[in-house]
Amino acid sequence: MSRYVYWAIAAAVLAIAFIVLEPFFASTTTHAGPQGLAGEAAPVFALRDDRGGAVSLDAYRGRIVVMNLWASWCPPCRAEMPDLQRLANAYADRGIAIVGVNEGESPQRARAFADSLQIRFPIWIDGTQRYGRTYAALGLPTTVILDANGVVLRGFDGPLTFAQMQAAVAPLVHKH
Amino acid sequence: MSATIAVALVVVAAVVVELVLPGKAIYHAGWYNVALSALVVVVLLAGRRSSRRTADARLRFATVAMMTGTAIVGLSGVACGLFAPDDQTFVGAPGQRLRVASLGELAFPLASSEGAAAGAVTLERPLRGAVRIGESPYYAGNFVLRATPRDVVYVEARDLRGNRLTVTQPSGSVFLSPVLLMEHRQSIAGMDLPYDSFSVPAARRVVKAVMFTAAQAAMLLRGGAALGEPAVLFAVDDENERPVANAIALSAGGRAVRAGGLMLSGQVTTYPSVAVAATPNLIATAFGALLVLGGLTAAIVTSLSRRSTAPQRSHERS
Repeated sequence: MSRYVYWAIAAAVLAIAFIVLEPFFASTTTHAGPQGLAGEAAPVFALRDDRGGAVSLDAYRGRIVVMNLWASWCPPCRAEMPDLQRLANAYADRGIAIVGVNEGESPQRARAFADSLQIRFPIWIDGTQRYGRTYAALGLPTTVILDANGVVLRGFDGPLTFAQMQAAVAPLVHKH
Repeated sequence: MSATIAVALVVVAAVVVELVLPGKAIYHAGWYNVALSALVVVVLLAGRRSSRRTADARLRFATVAMMTGTAIVGLSGVACGLFAPDDQTFVGAPGQRLRVASLGELAFPLASSEGAAAGAVTLERPLRGAVRIGESPYYAGNFVLRATPRDVVYVEARDLRGNRLTVTQPSGSVFLSPVLLMEHRQSIAGMDLPYDSFSVPAARRVVKAVMFTAAQAAMLLRGGAALGEPAVLFAVDDENERPVANAIALSAGGRAVRAGGLMLSGQVTTYPSVAVAATPNLIATAFGALLVLGGLTAAIVTSLSRRSTAPQRSHERS
């Protein structure tokens, strides 16, 4: 048998060596917070709002959605809420919906909190904290922006200023 | 030649055993991999010698196929034995996604109604879609994955008026998860028990939850009310981890109990974790094994046809 054949076989074995070895040197990571979810479809859960009405993300298809996860015991959430309301007022007629998702508290507590800050955008009650879990929230508040098809565009860990909210939302309004 | 074939088959068998029974420590032992490599070298040297000796092109081709196949299979086995990472168990919280490089992403299901009927973990592989990982092994490249159920505790916290309160796990894998994965262990009354902790920020409380099986709970209560049901012992501290009054209570069968100014319940349920063990590369091993078997078949056919033609020729000569 020709020497070239042996060389060809040796090259093939080396190529296979690379194939069998390469996966062993890859590392394992976990999502680092809500930023890692960009490009994934947001889960749709059947929830209730703070007045007991049935709500779901399905009803928001075709609109950009800013979902803000919060709780009444969280001081940064309280500080951020008025700016979210400003954003809701500023972009209400431009295809942007703001939804506040209370994590793990009762509707009464959530409504009392929202009323105290004169919040008028929808408040959903996520009693079993499912959005908090699937969005890999590292803390509260957590904000996730979804496109018109319900796909996560961006995720933010921690409170945002009004300027940051506008910077995140304004380019989407133009695209939308 | 027959010795070469026997050694080649031993190499193939050893590596196939690694695939069928993955996760054994012996596969990573130095002596095992040296032995496997030595067997491959024996096959290569003996095969080279016999291919040089024979004038039959078909037999030479069969020998080279067996040598190549053995080298590939042996390489897969030794690569796995020496370079593979340790076996890992991925314990994910409901809703959590863990990226496992070179495999894809493990998506842990949200426990339906937080009970035992949780869905399956899925492995989402680039270009291959999602695959359910069950209790039977799933081979993916250089790894085998298998779901194993483990006990977890779904906790709920309410204030004394019954209003639900947010549960957080500042030191857990998912901050906003009410499902405790119970990954730590503690000894109480001679029993080795899993425990975990969570916070109730609205009430400024930190709660430690220790899980007991039904038998352990019965032992703890000396045959008391919790007999036949698993139970969770709650110990409540304030946010600075100082003890508070009436801070310890046992919740059996998921019933709510009062402790440290909270109403707490802990439902023991099962939830899948995923054990990932390295294996020799499935495709490379299959390809190598096919080469060995193909070479073996060709060698047998060639020698049989030789035998059948040999008497004929001698008869013709006489």
